Amino acid sequence: MTENKIPVGPFHPLLEEAEYFELKVEGEMVVDIDMEIGWMHRGHEFISESKAFTQSIYLVERICGICSTSHPLACVHAIEDIDNIEIPMRARYIRTLIGELERVHSHLLWLGLAGHFIGYDTLWMWAWKYREPVLEMFEAISGNRNHYGMMRVGGVAKDVESEKIPHLLQILDEIDRKMEMIAKAAHDDPVLKSRLKGVGVLKKADAIAYCAVGPTARASGLAIDVRKDEPSDAYDLVDFNIVVLPNGDVYDKLVVRLLEIIESNKIIRQCLEQLKTVPGPILNNVKEITPGEGIGRYEAPRGEVFHYIKSDGTNRPVRHKVRAPSYVNIPTFMASCKGIPVADALITLAAVDPCYCCTERALRVVNAGSEHLDLLALSRAKTEQLRREIYGK
Amino acid sequence: MDEVQQFLELMGSKLTRVVQKPRRLYFYIPPEEVLTVADYLFNQLGCRLSTATAQETYDGIEIIYHFSLDRKGQYFCPRVLLNKEQPRVKSIVPIVQGAIWIEREIFDFWGVEFEGHPRMERLLALHHPENLDKPLRFGRQV
Repeated sequence: MTENKIPVGPFHPLLEEAEYFELKVEGEMVVDIDMEIGWMHRGHEFISESKAFTQSIYLVERICGICSTSHPLACVHAIEDIDNIEIPMRARYIRTLIGELERVHSHLLWLGLAGHFIGYDTLWMWAWKYREPVLEMFEAISGNRNHYGMMRVGGVAKDVESEKIPHLLQILDEIDRKMEMIAKAAHDDPVLKSRLKGVGVLKKADAIAYCAVGPTARASGLAIDVRKDEPSDAYDLVDFNIVVLPNGDVYDKLVVRLLEIIESNKIIRQCLEQLKTVPGPILNNVKEITPGEGIGRYEAPRGEVFHYIKSDGTNRPVRHKVRAPSYVNIPTFMASCKGIPVADALITLAAVDPCYCCTERALRVVNAGSEHLDLLALSRAKTEQLRREIYGK
Repeated sequence: MDEVQQFLELMGSKLTRVVQKPRRLYFYIPPEEVLTVADYLFNQLGCRLSTATAQETYDGIEIIYHFSLDRKGQYFCPRVLLNKEQPRVKSIVPIVQGAIWIEREIFDFWGVEFEGHPRMERLLALHHPENLDKPLRFGRQV
């Protein structure tokens, strides 16, 4: 049978960001997949080396709109790892609270998108509707619905005032009820089961080989979670379970995320209860960072976020390496997309909750200096190049 | 005996400038020992490769591999120092499939050639409108 290629991207209605997948198909079956990244030039690693540590935290917060706490949290963990800086107990609970709220809203965002991709728009509208109260909680705590600006080296920037806690617990009660309903409905839904069960299986051996992380790994039977493996902040002070399922298909990835929302709600409740009584301060005064190197990581909603920072004793990093979870999860498509029909490939691509702007955080922006680029001329040159490639003239 | 002590006893003769911190172990290895060490950490100890960090120092191009032993929350970080003129080291992709993009990125930004990599091509600068050559080496244009 003839082998054909189906291009998906770099600009495609399925993908919110620029990314290119080339599906090699025989008939309806995908036999191989090729991926190309490098369509976004963000330069975070490069820019961070010219910023002070305090500015780097703001910078990495803007790597991703969804993981806007995971990156700064991993970044401050890395800086704190250089000097083994202790943080106050109240700040530990606040960090954990913000991190878990982020997990809930990120998983609900993915759930909605997954529903939309398979044509199940009711799930999409439900999930995004019930995500709103989570964003309201963020707004009540930090003043922002998205970039919270909460993380600092040695603690957090803002306290959670005790008079706000009853109101936050009230919103959490409402979220809890809705989450139980949505989890039960999605779990028992025959449409989701028939559409997602057995689709895009990532075997445990492949998850290990590709070093997968987060819900992608946990849905393939790998019990890894930074919150349990290297508990920082208040994760060793709260009670929660990590969710591990054995099948590795898209359905298990969905159920892992649904159950993780319920576990996260448990953690949020414990943190809020503790914050009623645990005394301040919320920030230790860190005067300087000594020469050395540190590794910081945090279990973002998509998996382990990794930051490595090398300091030479000045107020800025000599090297700041960022590795987002999607960077290791996207290559698992080479295992999970082979041998499945084209119709299943798209939801399989979406199942790892890929974030491309996290993945492509490294390279510098085009002409970061003062020179201006004529984008129209660039576009015309590219069209001309493509024309030559296709027609050979 | 825990995994760190076990590793130090078994591989101690190959390691130099060992720095041990709580849950972190940094050490230099000769570039020709990369496969032996990666094989032991990944296949014997059951570590996961988090990523690898490259940087240019005055002595050469340094690559730090970050292997995470998840069940203990421990990091093993072998470093190799490569010649600046012709940075070249063996690819660990035959052992750790997950290193495929990590090594391509280092090739792309620092020009390090990984011998035995199945696809030694640019990764992130592939579609950059300027033809960037090793953009993160010293002397780069800002």
